[in-house]
Amino acid sequence: MGKQVELLPGTLDMLILKAVSLGGLHGYGVLLRLQQLTGGRLQIQQGSLYPALYRLERKGLIASAWGESENKRKAKFYTLTASGRKQLKAETALWRDFSSVVAGVLSAIPGES
Amino acid sequence: MRIRRRKQFEDDMDAELRFHVESYVDDLIRSGFSPAEAERRARIEFGSVETKKDECRQAWGLQRLDELRADLRLTFRTIRQNPGFAAIAILSLALGIGANTAIFGVFDAVMLRLLPVRDPGQLVFVQSAGTKGRDGQPYPCFELIRDRARSFAAVSAFSPSDMELTADHGRELARGVWVSGNFYEALGVRPLIGRTLTASDDQTPGKGGPDGPVAVISRASWQQRFGGDPAVVGRTIYLYEHAVTIVGVMPTETMSLEPGRPVEIAVPMMLSNPAMLRDRTSAWLQVVGRLKPAVRAEQARAESDGLFQAYMADVQISEQIRRMLFQRIELAPAGQGLGGLRRQFSKPLTALMILAGLVLLAACVNMTNLMLARAMARQRDFAVRLAIGAGRGRLVRQHLTESLVLVGAGATLGIVLAHLGEMALAAFFAEGNNKIVLDLSLNVRMLLFTLSVAVLSGLALGIVPAMRAARLDPAAGLHGGSRGIAGNRVSLRLGRALVVVQVALSMVLLAGAGLFIRSLRQLESVDLGFAREGILTMEVTPERQLFGSSEWLAMQTDIIDRVRQIPGLRSASWATMNPLSGRDRGAILEVPGFVPRTETDKHIHLAAISPEYFDTLGVPMRLGRGFSARDHGSAPKVAILNETAARFYFGNANPIGRKVRFTNYPSRDLLYEVVGVVRDAKHDSLREPASRFIYLPIPQSVDRINRLALAARCSGDAITFAAPVRQQIQSVRSTLLIDNVSTMEKQIEQALLRERLVAALSTTFGTVALVLACIGLYGILAHAVTRRTNEIGIRMALGATRSGVVWLVLREAFALAGGGIVIGLPVVLALGQVTKASLYGVEPFDPLAFASAALLLLLFTALAATLPGRRASLLDPTSALRRE
Repeated sequence: MGKQVELLPGTLDMLILKAVSLGGLHGYGVLLRLQQLTGGRLQIQQGSLYPALYRLERKGLIASAWGESENKRKAKFYTLTASGRKQLKAETALWRDFSSVVAGVLSAIPGES
Repeated sequence: MRIRRRKQFEDDMDAELRFHVESYVDDLIRSGFSPAEAERRARIEFGSVETKKDECRQAWGLQRLDELRADLRLTFRTIRQNPGFAAIAILSLALGIGANTAIFGVFDAVMLRLLPVRDPGQLVFVQSAGTKGRDGQPYPCFELIRDRARSFAAVSAFSPSDMELTADHGRELARGVWVSGNFYEALGVRPLIGRTLTASDDQTPGKGGPDGPVAVISRASWQQRFGGDPAVVGRTIYLYEHAVTIVGVMPTETMSLEPGRPVEIAVPMMLSNPAMLRDRTSAWLQVVGRLKPAVRAEQARAESDGLFQAYMADVQISEQIRRMLFQRIELAPAGQGLGGLRRQFSKPLTALMILAGLVLLAACVNMTNLMLARAMARQRDFAVRLAIGAGRGRLVRQHLTESLVLVGAGATLGIVLAHLGEMALAAFFAEGNNKIVLDLSLNVRMLLFTLSVAVLSGLALGIVPAMRAARLDPAAGLHGGSRGIAGNRVSLRLGRALVVVQVALSMVLLAGAGLFIRSLRQLESVDLGFAREGILTMEVTPERQLFGSSEWLAMQTDIIDRVRQIPGLRSASWATMNPLSGRDRGAILEVPGFVPRTETDKHIHLAAISPEYFDTLGVPMRLGRGFSARDHGSAPKVAILNETAARFYFGNANPIGRKVRFTNYPSRDLLYEVVGVVRDAKHDSLREPASRFIYLPIPQSVDRINRLALAARCSGDAITFAAPVRQQIQSVRSTLLIDNVSTMEKQIEQALLRERLVAALSTTFGTVALVLACIGLYGILAHAVTRRTNEIGIRMALGATRSGVVWLVLREAFALAGGGIVIGLPVVLALGQVTKASLYGVEPFDPLAFASAALLLLLFTALAATLPGRRASLLDPTSALRRE
């Protein structure tokens, strides 16, 4: 397991959208998938997922429905909506631009400019 | 519903979070933790469930709702704790809002409301206009415009008129309207039962259409005359002596286009006097056009003007009359109906709206003061809430919620008060002979008005205390206890300022009321030129076949003789119209040797009277003689002028023996010799100086005598003579129709309707403002005494007398009141200037009105100060000093 990374403010929503985009998940499933995708390196307070999920659903980016979990229990499943998909795409592009710009600045070598 | 949804939300959230934690616990156990340890770790890693739930609710937008609920709960609790405060606050707001809603209701009914017809905005009056103003059209001209003008989708006409009906209760007079057959179809008004009139009902003079002579009645008439019986459709009644069939019942408010003047029956024009239908110069019809959708008003005007000019080219009238009445066509919006009522009441109603607004302002100021005082009392409470972490926004919201709740209650009560007020106002308008019927039932527009007034005042009220709450320093608030901190002193100063504003508002309203009352008194005591007490008046109409007959003439003398036998009745007379009856008649007079400078110089008011007329009304002769029985139909023609007319036409010369002619009557060649001059008397308006009048004996009248007005001078209460007089009249001929029974005093009241309305309402408003100011004064003084308990104790310990302490309080009270009066004065002056035109016999700066207002205010100030003053003087110095 690599070094733990703290979540940048504002990125949780984007990560949740990504996680849900790979297939419908319940809240706990979102957590597991994020841990799996980050190799467990991302620190997320478990409870904080839920206000974010509610906020995203309120905005219409994800939709929820009650269903049955792997262990045969009643659970609330989230899926990405069309506008959620668009939002994810836009944020992904934004993030790429942002990180490349920041990376460019940070990799500047003294004396070059 | 909402509560169920809310519960569902909570249950779902609970289940979802529980599922998460339990799944994690299962996973942890699977990876080897003991169940207890797994529980513990899961709980730690999840974080506080309740906090997360709250965040979820917030994310879902539910928190505001919860907070609102908490605010409301707290508000109701504080209201229950302090019912006196709530009662005063709600009551004063209810008075302010009620006054505004009631006046707005009248304003709306008279000034704003469109008639409930189809597309009222497309309707225009097509009027002939000249230097004398605007009027209607003759029938042939209406026909021309109706048939030729292409700018209109429909052209119809109407003409209100008294009509004589015979149904169940014998002959009766009713207000009716002659309408063109297409009138209601053009307006888009549907019948309630039966059918409406159509163009085919209005084809043949005297006959109507295929169904014969038909008529429709108003809903009100249907209820009153026919008991709401649906079988009324198909019934035959008599209009004069002709049988007509009722074919339908129409909504009362759209029977005619004259708002406030309800009409009972509408009859097709073809059933009216055929001579009137042929008459080419008598403009008795109001013509209403409905503009085609794409046609501009100016286009329609130009087109109808072209038709009108062509029509006029063919008509024999003098150039002068043409200039005065028939110069051109003008259009006027017709969606609100004829504007008589609007013109009459626009000024008084606007003034009343302003005054009502001031009352509301006073109520709001009072409320603000009360709320401020309460906010001070609750400073500690709020400081505690701040200290334990409430947001300032929450505190502000709490204040606004409270004021909105109070305002809501005030508005509800206000609507009830407004409803009562409107009933009183409607009754006020509906009194007398020329009753004005207003529909003042609550409507959406009125409720919207009340709502917006209420919300605005709620925000205005909450804002001051709320802003103070936002600035509150929790540390100071917690430390300071009930007094002694700077914030309190600032609040007190603000409270004082508000009280000064209240006094100023009261000053304005009271002085305004004073002006209006003085003006009304002046008008009531104005010299009428005739006796006002003990005069009974009524109108008597014979059957149509008796109009102008010698039989009717003989009956008149007979009636006078019999009526005079009634004990206590001193004299009685006939006239074509009595003063202040609302009736009028004009003539064009030619006086040899007098050169008129304008056309109007020839105009004179004309009345035919019986010999007893001047005696009965108490109008003294100035020169010459009155009429007598010798001035009969075949005797030499004689006339009497009033002083104004004599002076106008003859200057200082003696008019007796001079001869005059009436050029606008068929008898234009007859010369009337002036035999007397009488004193001037008011006729139409109490404000205007007397106009020129000429009187003729009834048998020598220039036109046919039909309806006549009786005047009887009685000892004692005139109205009690109505029954015996009626009995005597009907003993002469039982079918004589008697109506408009009244007394001169009643007619004077009637003529002063507007002035009485304004005086009564401004007095009410002034009283309300005065009471509010007293409450405000009392509150602020009581608070000041509490705050100065220590100081008063010290003063008393140092030897101040009890009366000295009372004076301390009184002095403050008078200082506040004096400040308010001084501030109010210039506003009153400005108000006086604005309403100058409505005042009579009073200058806008009326020292008496102003002094009484100021005196009244000072008196009530002293009253309001008495209780706090007494309390201060009864303080026990030792315990006062010991207080914190």
